[in-house]
This record gives sequence, structure tokens and C-alpha cells, in this order.
Amino acid sequence: MDQLFRELEEATIDQYDNKDLPKWLADPVFEVARNPAKYQGKEYLVEILVAQVREYDIYAETGCCKWAYDHEDLKRTLRWLEE
Amino acid sequence: MAIYLDCNATTPVEPSVVAVVTRFLEKDFGNAASPIHDYGVFARTAVEHARGLVAEVVKARRDEVIFTSGATESNNIALLGFAGRGMTAGRRHVITTAIEHKAVLEPVAELGRLGFEVEILPVQPDGRLDPQRLAEALRPETLLVSTMQVNNETGVLQPLAELADILEGHEAWWHVDAAQGFGKEIEQLRNPRIDLIAVSGHKIYGPKGVGALIARKRDNLFPPLQPLMFGGGQEQGLRPGTLPVPLVAGFGEAAKLALRDHEARREKCRAFRVGALTALDWLGAEQNGAEALTLPHAVNVSIPGIGSDRAINALKRVIAVSSTSACTSHTRTPSHVLQAMGCSPERVETSIRLSWCHMTPEVDWNDVTAILRTMRG
Repeated sequence: MDQLFRELEEATIDQYDNKDLPKWLADPVFEVARNPAKYQGKEYLVEILVAQVREYDIYAETGCCKWAYDHEDLKRTLRWLEE
Repeated sequence: MAIYLDCNATTPVEPSVVAVVTRFLEKDFGNAASPIHDYGVFARTAVEHARGLVAEVVKARRDEVIFTSGATESNNIALLGFAGRGMTAGRRHVITTAIEHKAVLEPVAELGRLGFEVEILPVQPDGRLDPQRLAEALRPETLLVSTMQVNNETGVLQPLAELADILEGHEAWWHVDAAQGFGKEIEQLRNPRIDLIAVSGHKIYGPKGVGALIARKRDNLFPPLQPLMFGGGQEQGLRPGTLPVPLVAGFGEAAKLALRDHEARREKCRAFRVGALTALDWLGAEQNGAEALTLPHAVNVSIPGIGSDRAINALKRVIAVSSTSACTSHTRTPSHVLQAMGCSPERVETSIRLSWCHMTPEVDWNDVTAILRTMRG
């Protein structure tokens, strides 16, 4: 289980340091990544979050079709994790 | 209960796949095409997540994965979906091989009825297509080439890298039926020259009733496929109909495990193979297909003096095996694959296929060999 949360933290660090993930979105994702016990039983959603962070792009909705994940996707998954 | 050795027909389902499928059957049952509330949005999110997991296995883009009911449907879309393009472009030459599954041979035969010229390439006694045969068969007007990745009856890996080299620079669309190799032989399918890949969930420890056609873009454009069904526009208009979210999500989970556990699974299969081959060797069995080219989880052998049906029946309390592919075993027609490899009628009639996986328990091979020896008298 911890491996999944480590992957989330690594992906978030990479997106925040090297790409476009904003601080206001990175902070709540770090909160998830650094609290595995709190999200026990919600690993499926965490997996989705990892994929969404890795494929995050602020221009995801531009063009004819959506080809990446945007801030709305991440915010929604974060909300589901808190429900 | 006999030990199941028919994993090329279908595999058992991984426990975590069952958990994912159950979740979307019982609790999160929304329609992915109705993202107007959280039920629908979560279903759509799960589908897109699964799409990414399936794409990752072959290093495709997420939007290049079209979910279908399985490899048979994917093969049909990939082959018959080109008919319109072939007719309008005046390219009516189609190439495939003699050892393809019926899910390829029959749609190709339908293309023949529609006026396409179909060329079926022979294979070598080792079970493999000689790439030179494709080089000789290619013409400027060749529309489509369809070759399998791994043969379902023999487990023999086909030379896709060499075929890719031959097809480099040629405009023909290349379809690969990867029902038996997807998630099991990883690198081959990542070759960007392969335009279309047909896969099934139930061959990789996922649920039955779901699969995918992976349609790689060329110059940022999808292959010019036409749908075979109409109504709804789902899956980029190529495969309409409400997506079975539980199956799709389960397939995604299975794809994830196929990558994550790839080496460990192969290692278990290799270890099992040693026992199987030793026992079969004691019986004087002759392998159909070159051992060096065969994936670790399958073997096709002929046991001299013992007909397939008799062997399968006699062994049914110990191991569950088959004689040909699952889709033709009920018809009792001789294997077209072994015939294409040049096997004698007696060798074909005495052939059985054993296929296992990382979840297969130990087999008492002494029991197996004792039963078969008794049959010989």
C-alpha cells in the first residue's frame, strides 16, 4: 500500500517542480500521499489520482478532445477521497 | 476437481479484479455516458482510468484504446472496418496467415466475398511465419496485413519485429491479433509500426465479455475504420453501446497486474513448464511448435498412439486440457494450425494443448503419465 502512496508523492513532486501543477492543487495531493493510513480502503481512488497527476496538463481541455487530466479532474477525485 | 490446464482458452480471474468488478456492479453502477451526476462521472473516470492502464501495456495513447466485447469483435472491426476504405481507394489486396484464429480467418473470408483478393501465407513446421513470405506477398495495392502475435494452439511467438521491418515504409495497415500475447509478451506490441491490436480481458485474468481494439494514430490521424454497428457514438463512434463499466474497470485492473507482475508470472510458468515437459517426455510426446519459440505457459504435444479425445477424457479427473482452440474444439474438426505446420494426420489427431498460469497449483505428473501409459496397454 505504501508503494502506491510513494508513487503519488513522487508524481506530485515531479509535476509541481518540473511541470504545471499549481501549489493550490499540489498541497491537497501531498496531504493524501503523506497520510496512507487515513486513506486505507480507498486505494482504487488513490490509483486514479496517481494517473491523473502524472497526466495533468493545464491545457487538457483545449482542442477537439480531452487528451489529459485537468484541475477539475483532480479536484473531483480529491473530493471523492474525502467522502 | 481436476487441475485447470486450459489457460489459453480462458484464465482464472485475479482476486483484485473480482473486487473491482464487484464494486462497479454493486455500488458504483453509473453509466459512463451520463456524466451529469457523480454516478456517471465516477463511471466515466473509472473507464478512462482503465483505458490508460490498457494503453500502458503497449505504450499507446489513452485515446487509442477502443473498448469492445473481446478480441473477436476487435478483430472484426479491424478487418471489416477497412472494407469501405479499400473499395474507394482501389486497394483490395489483403494478407493474413494460415494459422490465424477463426476470429481473423472468417472476417478475412468475408472480405473475400466482398471482392477483396485474400492471400493466406503458409507457415513453417516450427509454427512460425517466415517473414520473407510477407516480403514476397506485399504489393503496392496491399490494403491490410493481419498476423497474430502468439498462436493460440501452439503458444509459438510470431516474428513481429521482423514483420515490422518489412512493413516499414509500406502504406498497408497492420493488424495484430494479440489475444494470446497481450500482457504476456510485452515488448513486441510496443512497436509503433503496428497499427491495430486486438485484445481480450479474459486471457489476462480479467472478466469475459470485454476487450479492446488499440488503434494507433498515424500522423495524428486514426486508421480509417468504419464502424460495424451504429447507435450512440460511444468509443469514438467505432463501437456504440453502453460501456459495461464493471468489465472495463476489471479489465483495467487486469492490465495493471499484467505489467506489474509480468516477470514473477513468467518465472512461475517456467518452473511449472519443467515438470510438464519432463512428464510429457517420458511418454514420448512430440512437441508441435519449436520449444525455443514457445511462450512459457503453453505447450502443444502429440502423444503417439493415444487419440486426443481419448486422452482428454481419461485425464479429466486429474487435469483439464484441450485439443485445439476453445472456439473450434466443440466442432471436432482437425486443427487447421497443425495442418498448416505440415503435421501428419496421426500427429494432428493425437495432439493436446496444455496451458497454465501463475495461479495453477502443482500437478501430480505421476498420475498423468500413469493414466496415459495404461491407455497404451
